[in-house]
Parts: sequence; C-alpha cells; structure tokens
Amino acid sequence: MSGTCRVTINGRTPEVPAGTLVTDAASMAEVHVPIFCSHQKLPPLGACRICVVEVGMPKRDREGKPMLALDGTPEIAWMPKPQTGCTTTVADGMVVATESPGAVKARKGVMEFLLVNHPLDCPVCDEGGECQLQDLAFAFGADFSRMDEAKRTFVSEDLGPVVKKEANRCIVCMRCVRYCDEIMGDDALTAHQRGFRTEISSFDRQPLDCEQCGNCIEVCPVGALTALPYRFKARPWDLRQHVTICPWCSNGCSVRLGVRGTEILRARGTEQRGINREYLCVRGRFGYEFVSHGERLSGALVRSGGSLEPAGFEEAVAVVAARLGDIAAKHGAESVAFLGGEKLYLEEQYLFQKLARGVLGTNHVDARTRFTAPVPGTALLAATGGGRPLLTFEELEHADEALVLFEDLQGESPFAQAGLIRGQHQFGLHLTVAHARRVKLARPKFRGDWLGVKPGGELALLHGLTRAALEAGDPPGLPPATATTLPSLRTALAAWDVERAARESGVAADAIRAAAERLRAAQRPAIVFGRGIAEHPQAKALLQAVENLGWVTGALNAERSRVLYMGPHHNSQGALDMGLSPDVLPGYVPVGDAGARKPFEQQWGKSLSATPGMTAPEILAAAADGRIRALWIAGDHWLRSAPDRALAEKALERAELVIVNDLFLTETARHAHVVFAAAAFAEKEGTSVNAERRIQRAARALSKHRGTRTDMEIFVAVARALGATWSYRGAEDVYREIARLAPGFAGTSWATMLPLGPQWARETPAAGGALAAADDAKLAAGPTDGLWLLSGGTLFLQGSLSHRTELLPRLAKPARAFLSRGDAQRLALGEGDSIELTGPAGRTRLPVALDDTVPPGCVFVPYAFPGVELNRLGAPAGAGLRVAARKASQAERVEA
Amino acid sequence: MRGPLLFSDIDTPGLTSIETYRKGGGYATASSVVGTKPPDEVIEIVKASGLRGRGGAGFPAGLKWSFVPKKTSKPKYLVCNADESEPGTFKDRELMEKNPHLLIEGMILTAWAIQANTGYIYLRGEFDYIQHILDQALAEARAAGLLGAAAGGKGFALEIHTHLGAGAYICGEETALLSSLEGYRGQPRLKPPFPAVEGLYACPTVVNNVETLMNVPHIVKNGAAWFRQWGTEKSPGTKILSVSGPVKRPGNYEVPMGLPLSTLLNEHCGGMRDGMKVKAVIPGGSSVPLLPASMLGTGLDFESMVAAGTLLGSGGVIVIDEQTCIVDALWNITRFYEHESCGKCTPCREGTYWMSEVFARLERGEGRESDIDLLYDVSDNILGKSFCALGDAAAMPVMGAIKHFRDEFEFHVRERRCMVNRRAPGLTERQTEAVPA
Amino acid sequence: MSGPVPVSIGRDGPALDWPAARRAEVDDALARYPVRRSAILPVLWIAQREWGWLSPEAMALAARTVGLPEPEVFGIATFYTMFNLKPVGRHHLQVCRTLSCSLMGADRLFQHLEQKLGVGHGGTTPDGRFTLRRVECLAACGGGPCMQVGLDYHENLDEAKVDALLETLK
Repeated sequence: MSGTCRVTINGRTPEVPAGTLVTDAASMAEVHVPIFCSHQKLPPLGACRICVVEVGMPKRDREGKPMLALDGTPEIAWMPKPQTGCTTTVADGMVVATESPGAVKARKGVMEFLLVNHPLDCPVCDEGGECQLQDLAFAFGADFSRMDEAKRTFVSEDLGPVVKKEANRCIVCMRCVRYCDEIMGDDALTAHQRGFRTEISSFDRQPLDCEQCGNCIEVCPVGALTALPYRFKARPWDLRQHVTICPWCSNGCSVRLGVRGTEILRARGTEQRGINREYLCVRGRFGYEFVSHGERLSGALVRSGGSLEPAGFEEAVAVVAARLGDIAAKHGAESVAFLGGEKLYLEEQYLFQKLARGVLGTNHVDARTRFTAPVPGTALLAATGGGRPLLTFEELEHADEALVLFEDLQGESPFAQAGLIRGQHQFGLHLTVAHARRVKLARPKFRGDWLGVKPGGELALLHGLTRAALEAGDPPGLPPATATTLPSLRTALAAWDVERAARESGVAADAIRAAAERLRAAQRPAIVFGRGIAEHPQAKALLQAVENLGWVTGALNAERSRVLYMGPHHNSQGALDMGLSPDVLPGYVPVGDAGARKPFEQQWGKSLSATPGMTAPEILAAAADGRIRALWIAGDHWLRSAPDRALAEKALERAELVIVNDLFLTETARHAHVVFAAAAFAEKEGTSVNAERRIQRAARALSKHRGTRTDMEIFVAVARALGATWSYRGAEDVYREIARLAPGFAGTSWATMLPLGPQWARETPAAGGALAAADDAKLAAGPTDGLWLLSGGTLFLQGSLSHRTELLPRLAKPARAFLSRGDAQRLALGEGDSIELTGPAGRTRLPVALDDTVPPGCVFVPYAFPGVELNRLGAPAGAGLRVAARKASQAERVEA
Repeated sequence: MRGPLLFSDIDTPGLTSIETYRKGGGYATASSVVGTKPPDEVIEIVKASGLRGRGGAGFPAGLKWSFVPKKTSKPKYLVCNADESEPGTFKDRELMEKNPHLLIEGMILTAWAIQANTGYIYLRGEFDYIQHILDQALAEARAAGLLGAAAGGKGFALEIHTHLGAGAYICGEETALLSSLEGYRGQPRLKPPFPAVEGLYACPTVVNNVETLMNVPHIVKNGAAWFRQWGTEKSPGTKILSVSGPVKRPGNYEVPMGLPLSTLLNEHCGGMRDGMKVKAVIPGGSSVPLLPASMLGTGLDFESMVAAGTLLGSGGVIVIDEQTCIVDALWNITRFYEHESCGKCTPCREGTYWMSEVFARLERGEGRESDIDLLYDVSDNILGKSFCALGDAAAMPVMGAIKHFRDEFEFHVRERRCMVNRRAPGLTERQTEAVPA
Repeated sequence: MSGPVPVSIGRDGPALDWPAARRAEVDDALARYPVRRSAILPVLWIAQREWGWLSPEAMALAARTVGLPEPEVFGIATFYTMFNLKPVGRHHLQVCRTLSCSLMGADRLFQHLEQKLGVGHGGTTPDGRFTLRRVECLAACGGGPCMQVGLDYHENLDEAKVDALLETLK
C-alpha cells in the first residue's frame, strides 16, 4: 500500500500512511487509545475490546460531494457499532471519536467487564506499579465496580522454574500464547477450556517445554504471568532502572536492569528501545546473577611462593609493568601475546591492543581464542562484505530467503532465531537451514528446507551451492574489481560439480540446486553464519566460500551486504573492529599499510610494526613451546576456550608471566602470576558492537564490586606504569579517539547512540571481494568406526559465567551426550546410561540422552556444560573430529 | 403433505436411498445444470428468487454467492453449516435425517454456481448418526457419478465430505465454523475479510445453512417467480419453524413466510396443552427477544419480526406459558450463553458470567432493586461491543424480557420469589458441576 | 512432512499408537482435507472411540498424527464439550438443560436421575456403569425432555420412561 490518508481523530487531523491502524493513527495524533491484546509484534486480534472507538465516514451525495450539516461541518455516517481501533485500518476522510459519549460508555463497559473476575490482588501481585490494567483502569475506568458476585477462580501453578501463573488475574488477551507461537516458535502455552473457564496453561499442566525466555511474562499486561526468580523481591518503584547491553551473545539486545542498592534484582526488555524492544532470551532475562555471585574476585592477586596472594591494585600493576617490561626488553616484544577481549567494551578493546602495539610493540593480539585455524582479521570482514552497509535484524525478519549456515541459532543468537521465526510466520520468509543436526529452525513445522550436511562436508556444500548458482546465471551487481576474478572462481569450481558436492556434503544434488536458486532469485536474501564456520579448522576456506556464495547469489553487491556473522559474545564484532586480530589495526587498517598506519603512529607516539602477529592458535602453540613467554588473557577462560586443552595447560605452565583479567578465579586464572579483579558489564559504561555492526551504548547500572577495577582502568594503569602518557577522562574520551582513527567510526559519538546506535560502515569497502579459489585443508583424522563429535552452543549456558547463576545450570540440566536412537541401540545404550568418548588426546564419560535430531553416526555434546571439557578429547573439538564410543559401566571411575 | 416445498415429500418411505430420491425427480436438476448452464446464470436465478439464509442471519444467498471472485487461482470451497445448535431449533436435523440427497443436490448446484470443487458439511458433534446417514448418501451419489473427478459426467470435479464438530454452539457462527474446520479452537475471526473472499484456508468460501441449500434444487428447477409464489416481497419462499414448549403438537412445520405466528401455534400446533395459556413466545431461537402474548399476530418473516422488535432468526419457536417464570426462563437462556461463550472477547466472556450470577441471586431471593437496571445495562454494554453475534444473542433476550416483563423481575426483588413457577427453578449447577480435569 | 520428528518431552504414560484396526479410519480422515491440521477433530474422535476418553497420551498421539504441537491439541480438545477429559462410565447420560426441554420437565428429570444414581453432574456411578451430565440444547426441542446416551437420542422422556431405559443399559 502506498500513499497517505488524512483522518480526523477527536478533531485533530493527522496525515498518516495508508494501512495504518486506527490505534496507531491515534497515537500519532497524541490521542491515547488503550490496548491490551494488541501488541507491536503480533497481528491485530480485536479480542479484548478495550480499544473500541466510534468510526465514521463523511456522507456523500450521489455525485460524491460531501454532505454538510447546517453549521457547515461535514455530516458523518457513523458505523452502527463501535469498532476496535486495533483492527480497523484508516481510510482517507475517516472520522474517529474516542471521547464521544458512545465511545466512553463502550470503553468504560469493557473496563468494568475486565474487572468482573479480576481479583483485587494488587497488594500481593508483582505487577503492581507497572500494571497496564491498573494504569488503564485508573485512566479510563470507573472508580467503583457494580459487580459483587463471587468471582471465578483457578488454582495457581508454576509452569516450570521460570513462569508463575496466577490464572485468576488473566484477562485472556492471548498475548502470551501468540507470542510463544509466532515469535518464539515454541507453541508451549495454550488456552484450556472456553468461556469464563478459559485458562492459559501448558500441555496437561506440565512444565513448559520451551526456551524459558520469559517473554510471556514480559508481554502479559497483568500479573497473571510473573517471573518466579523475581517473585516478591521488590516493587518497581524500589528499583533504579538502567538500560545496558546484554552481556551474552552478539545480538546486542538492550536490557533494562532493575537495581536496588548494590544488587541487580531483575532484567527486563525495553518495550520500545533497542533492536529487541520487549524481547529477551533466557540468558538475557535471568543470567545477570553472576554479577553478585559470592565468589566474585574482590581484589588483585599476585603469585608469591607457590600461591596467589591478595595484593593491592597498585602493587599488581607495578608487578605487571616491571615483568612485562623485563621480558620485552630481554626477548623482544614478539615474546608477548595478548589474548581475549570479546567480552570487553569497545573502549577497553581499543586500549588492550593499544597497550600491546602502542606501548609494548607487539602484533600478537587476538581475541578469537576459540578459533582453530589461523584466520586473518580481514577474512571475516571480507566474508561479510568488506564493511559495506550491513543488513539489520529488522531486515533479516523481512528477508524472503534466509540461509543459515552450520549454526544453531537457538543457542548462539536466540533473538536472531526469533526474528527468523517471526519472519516465517508473519512476513513470508523462507528458511534454508544447513546443519548436521535437525536444529530448532529446521523443524518441519517451520516449513523451510533442511540441508542435513554431514560433519566435514561443509566446504563441499558451499562449493556446490556456489557452483549451482553460477550454473543458473551470471551474478548481478558485482563491482568491477570482483567481476574480473569471476573467471578464476569458475575455473576453481570446475572440479566441484553439484553431484560431487552432493556426495561429499551428504546433501542431495537437487536440494543444493533448489537452495542456490532460491537465494539467487530472492529479492531480499540473507546469509547468516557464525562460529560453525569461524571456529572450523577449514575456516579460511569456508570464509572465502561464504564470500563467493554471497557475491554469486546477490547477497553481497556493490552497495550492500546481506551476509551476517554472529560472533559468540556481545562484543565479538567490536573485538574484530578494534583490531584484536594480529593483522589489522582498529578499523581493519592492515598493519602492513604504512600510509594508513600513520594516524595511529601519530596518536600513539610510536612507530608500529608492519609485520602481522600470530593468531590465537599460533600463540597457543608458541606459548606451549616457549616462543611466547608472556600472556595477557583478558576476560577469557582460556583453558576452556582453547582448541587444545593439553596444549593450553602446557602454555600456562611454561609461560614466565601470565596475567589474567577476570571476575572469578577460574582455572585459567589459577595458573596466572597476576590476576586483576575486573568489574562486570553492569558496573561500567561503554559501547558494544553487535552482529549488525551497530554501535550501542551500555549504561552503568551498579557501582563496581568492591576491590575491582574496570578493564579500562587496568590497562591505563599498566600503560602508564610502562611509561605511556595516556590520559583519559573516561571511557567516552577513549571513544573519541576511536572515532578519530578507525575507518568506519568517523562521525559517530556517544551522543548519537541513543535511542538506537548507528551501524558503522566504511566509506570505501575494504579491498577484498576478490573471488578466489578456496583451498581444502585436511580435517583431523579419527577412528573410522567412531562417531562424529558434534558440538555447539546451547541456549541455557554460555561459558563459565553462566555456570555462576542459580537458574541457568538448573534449566540446562546435567551434562549429557545426545545420541540418536539407532546409534544408542547399536551401542546397547538406553536413556541415562553412561557413554565413554575417546579422542586422540583424552576421554570423557557422560550420561546418554536419546535425541533423533542428531543424525546417525554422530554424538552431540554441547560446549558449555560445567565440568565437560571437549578440548581434552582432541583438537579441534567438535569440528571434523571422530571419537571412539563405547558403553561405560557405572563402576568405572570417571577420568580426567 | 406436511408442507408446500421442502416438506412436500419429506415423509416418503425410503427417501434416504438414492433410488427413491430419483424416483421423485431427484438429481434431475443437478444432472441437467452441471456442465451445461453457465454458473453465473444459476447465481442469477437464486438471486432473483430472493432466497435468504435460513440459518438465522437471513442474508440473501445469491448475493453472497456473487461475492466469490471469478478470477482467482485459489481453490474455492462450499461449506454447509449443519451445526444446528440454536436453542429451540431442530429443523435441519429432520431435513438431513429424512432427505439427505436433497442437501447433496443443493450442494452440487451451489458448488457449480460458485465453481467450488470441494464441499464440507460441518455437523454438530451430537449429530453423529446423521453423519452416518449423510456418508451413506454421499457414497450413493459418488457411485452414481454425481460426485467425483468428473461429477455428473461433465468434467466438473466435486467432492463433498462430512465433518463432525464436538460440542460448541459458537461453531455455528460462520468464521468460528471455519476456524474449527481448519483445525483450531472454534473461535470467530475478523470480518473483513469475508469468507466469500477469504474463508476456508484463506480461499473463497460460501457458507450456507442446510435449509437454504435444500431450497436451491427447487428454485433452479422451477425458477425465481415460482419460488416467490410463497412468502412476502422481502422474504420470499417458505420457512420451517421448529415449535417447542407446551403446545399440543410440537415439531417442525413448513409454512409460507409471512404466516402469522398465532396461526402457526393455534392451527398447526393445535394450541396450548392442558388448558395452559401463552405468556410469551420466542420466535427465532433463544438469541432473539421474546414476543409477549399481545404480539403473536406478527408475521413469520424477516421484516415483520424486525418491526416487532425481535428477529425471525433460525425460526426456533419456543412457547412460554403463563405459569412459567420469565426470570427463570431468562436465567436458563443466559446460562446457555455463559456455557457456550468461546471466551475470546471480554464483554461476552465476562458479561454472560456476571448476568448468570445476578440471575442466580434473583432466583435465590437475594435480588436488589438495582439488579434490574444492572442487567439491562450489562446487556447494553455487551450489545454491539462483542467480537461476534453471540454477545448480541446473550444481550438481546435479557433486554427484551426486562422491557416486556419488568414486573416479574420487580416481583423477585420485592417478594424474594417467582411470581409463578410451575417448574422447579433450575438447579444451581455450580454446586454439582465438577471442575473439568 | 519429511524428516524425523523431534522426540517429544514424553508423557507420564507409555506412548500410544493406533491399533491396526483404526489405521484405515485415521488415513481416511487425513485424506479428506488439503491441510493436514483439519483432521484434528476426526482424529480426536477416533481416539475417543478407541479409548473412551482423551488422555494426555491420546492427545499426544493425535498431535503426532496430524502434525500439530501437543499443547495446541490440548487446547483444541478442551475447547469442545463432547471430548471426555477423564474416563466415563459405560453409558454416558447427557440430559439437555436448555429452555425448551426445561419447559417440558427436564429439571425434574435430572433431579430424579441424580437421586436414582446417587451422583451429580459430571459424576460416575461407583460400578462404572453410568456417567451423568447436563448438556446444552441437543436440537430435539420438539421432543423434550431429551437425553443423549452416548451418541443415541432419546426423546419425550419422563421418569418412568427413563427408568425403563436405564434397565436396558447394562
């Protein structure tokens, strides 16, 4: 629909886009029409009737001229019944009355009906103080009720550990049921019975079989659904509320933290702000508890004798500066490496690499500790379009064809997953999911296409898709530099006919062709990938292959990129953008580019090395064999994240100096020589860049935990102790420096980031976009009769921080290995029996869970269970690794 | 002959079998029209006849058919609304039980007119035995080549299936019926879009009542003018009234539209039993306001009933005698709507509950002066504000009863009992109703 | 529908499957509609005919058969009054309570049955023989009072007739 309509609402005459609903038009005219069942992300329902208004059209005579009353005003033909504003679309000339006697009586009547069975629970109801029913009854209702019969009652129930349901309060707006269906795709809530006996519950009142996101609680306009973890803890007016960025995944949702005193009591969505508005996933909504965990470090630790002893901050800084300086002087800056930083704010990431490069002089900087292959920082930029303006999550929802590559978004990027589900339900989006397992997005009910790739067949699939797309036709929109490389791509792919791709990927040839064609033909395509590619041993080849596929299908074109990389952490993108990779400076300036380096050298007052440093896997090997002597690990539990645990242990043992910034004394920190107690995300302000490359501000919600310092304070202190003349008045000052130096960040500032931060883009996309032959690295071997070990992130847990919450590990349930029924039967294993998995470097024992979404010949063990370290089994864990599997008897001891 | 048109042969022995049906001329019209007469012509005949929906809404059938888009790539559907659940109505049951082939022929002709290739007969769940009768008749029709890939041998594919509901009055509302048929809870949907444009599976769908469809073969065979020999200008044809209550001969009666209600009751039904006298009559199923005894001369047609402040509705005539308490009768009706409310919208869901509670209190002798105006106002707050007509159906009878019999309500408040009540007041079911599992 | 269906979270009882004798009915029901979920009502009826009532396991089976989420099927099944959500007696006595039947004496008839059977609305006799319920209009208004026994209509009832009828229902 195009064009606008002029409507009259209570005498005001706004001009609104055609297709606007009357309730929204009223809002635009600053006329408040109350709503309950209506929701910004759900199609109109018209059930609660609170938004009833009187609607009319001007009377026209036979020639179509408006008929006028005696006083010259147009005569209106009013509709005989009041209409719900949320289901009525405006028409040009429409007249709406929201305060006429008829409209007021109708609305007051509905308000009275809503309170007929609603109990007077306010004193004991958590919703009190932020309850839409309270607010709207106050604004629009009567101050007494004529109903004094007995009310209908239900029995309250817990629908699992997260949702408390008090059905007496329910006004049957059905927001919870619809949100769970249309946005979450879980269909966990349902209405039982009918009429006044209608009761929202689960299947047979069993615990909700769902993502436990709590969005049902968020959208419930009354206190029928409330959060059990928050129950009876506070009143909203007790809380200070601060909007920050969720510390978990790279979607970068805005979170409204409710703080009382020094404690975060809850997290909520933001209704209108951020990329997520009201949405949060279970981690974002309930995962904040680690901030106040009893084991938070409350002071620096310095190794003395054999053990870590408490030390003052200045003392620790002095130790670090002295010993770093010492090692650098004796063995050169190349003996020092800086690891981690994906969870830090942008300003801190910038300072981390500035310390490494601008003070010590080393390019051994890499945040991507989970990577198994030496991937240059430029590779991820190239695969996602070289810094061209990038797809937003909103555009992702509206894609007509979305291809998700080797990523279970449920665990990695829950909000993006919800967007794809919403798009599929509401906007005609078609999904193609390439994954070994039949992950949630690949379920039959979503009516997309599942390409069941066999482990190790990822590169073959991408080659096949690219080849099929090229066979179907010439790619549109290639910039000249890229177009000239097309022939060499064709040559390289000559060996990859679709039949070969089918054989090696395990995906049928016609499915490959159909998927390629869908992407090619799409008006609004999207390609989404994450660590399934980035952490893969063939990552370099895969990233190039993604870039190839992007160009040949039009997901990448000269103007825009519609290829999204979902990093694992909230600021993984920022880490890449701030040059926490060995080959690029902030803004992806190659370290070897003398001209582009100059501004940095000028700002930092130091000549910078032109030689790229080592990537994280290379640092791992170098530290294990002594070439790297000092390691600074910022906010990363390296023993768990490193691809080879044994090697990482060796590295930590061997290094002369290990410095760790963390919130907790992790096992990695236990190996350190100096541990800095770091402030948590909610205890500092800064910016974070999400997978959309959107720079967002995070407000500070709490004072720093006692004895902690922000990572920024730590880096500044050490830099100054090493002789740097850094002087910043705060994190915003650092950001100004970033904006001056980093291409793509120019013109941005903290002030321009509210209400919604900008996506950064480079004026000139990075050179790249050269379609090249993708090389085939060999995958790790393993017993040919073994099971492929599949791994990945899961919803309830993300890293060791999530282990330090009360709810998340409980929801995740104990660690187990998921096996299809056929394989379980073959191994004589039943549900709960113990399976032993042996890899080249070690073994582990886990209880078995039967799951037919795991393909035959595979065993799925998620990364993040406490106590399960897949990187003990061999390198690289979870990608192309085969393990021997056998039933373990209960009597056997569990080995490390 | 029990009636002029649909009931003319209704009691023919063996009419449910296709042989007997054909012997009486059945399926001759379908055979000659399908594949031969242009569909639009069929629509025009039915339009000209003025046939109005016989299920309760009274919408002109031919006009509804003409809303179906001619050019569309979507399949089209014909749905027969056999959900007959309006209290006081039992005509479709007898029609289908005794003359299933007439319904099938009516559906064949209607499907041809709107070019629908699939039809469903949505039966209320209690009509299980009727489903068997219809399935048998459909099998006979299929075997005779009247249904199937090339129905009538003329290349028009048509298949008709029966579909059984499971106990929900609301599924008689056309969009709720479609929801239920699609496999959802039977709750009504927003209109527009109207089913003729976006109905079953978002495809063009015509929903018609059993009696309406059964008129079609007669009309197409004999023409619009012939049909108009009965009835009035605005309500042509005949209507089957279902009469219940303490009359001598309750049952279904087919009469020309416009016949005075009193004639139906006194002549056809033999008047009241046991020397009883009429207090009021509900003319069109429990959803319409009652007519006091003084207004029984009203004609049984759509416009006369509207003029009398009520509606012809489904034609379920419920006779209330002078010894029956009006308040108790309305409580009975209100509890019906409370039980049948689907729960989607606030006014109906909460309002019917509230009114039932107030009625219960009045019947218990605990009524208050303000209760009468309260009931009227609550009804008024439901009327026109609910999502669908069930709310209106709950509201209108209460308002009508208070208008015509306010004295009985006032008596309850003052004297704490019924003015008259030959039946025991309804049991308070809430004491004995088990909470469902 | 292609590909394996994810394992459901499991119900308390063992998972049900259709007995061989019912498979033809189920397939016939599925074949009647272009959209599979339309078959949910006929499939639930088949389950009730087979097991007498809709247990959670039966609902889960119906959900699997038609390809709907289990909670949604629970919501559908509980919407309609004719689906038994707990076991019923051998003979399900459903007495109409709506106005026309009430005018002809259905209330007294129900009272009589309550006293005779010793159960109220929704109750089942201890010997499992009868379940008694009041239901809404059965479209038998001209023949009231009306009672459905299972799916069979019995009209023009009075106390004597209903007593005689009960005698025949073993």
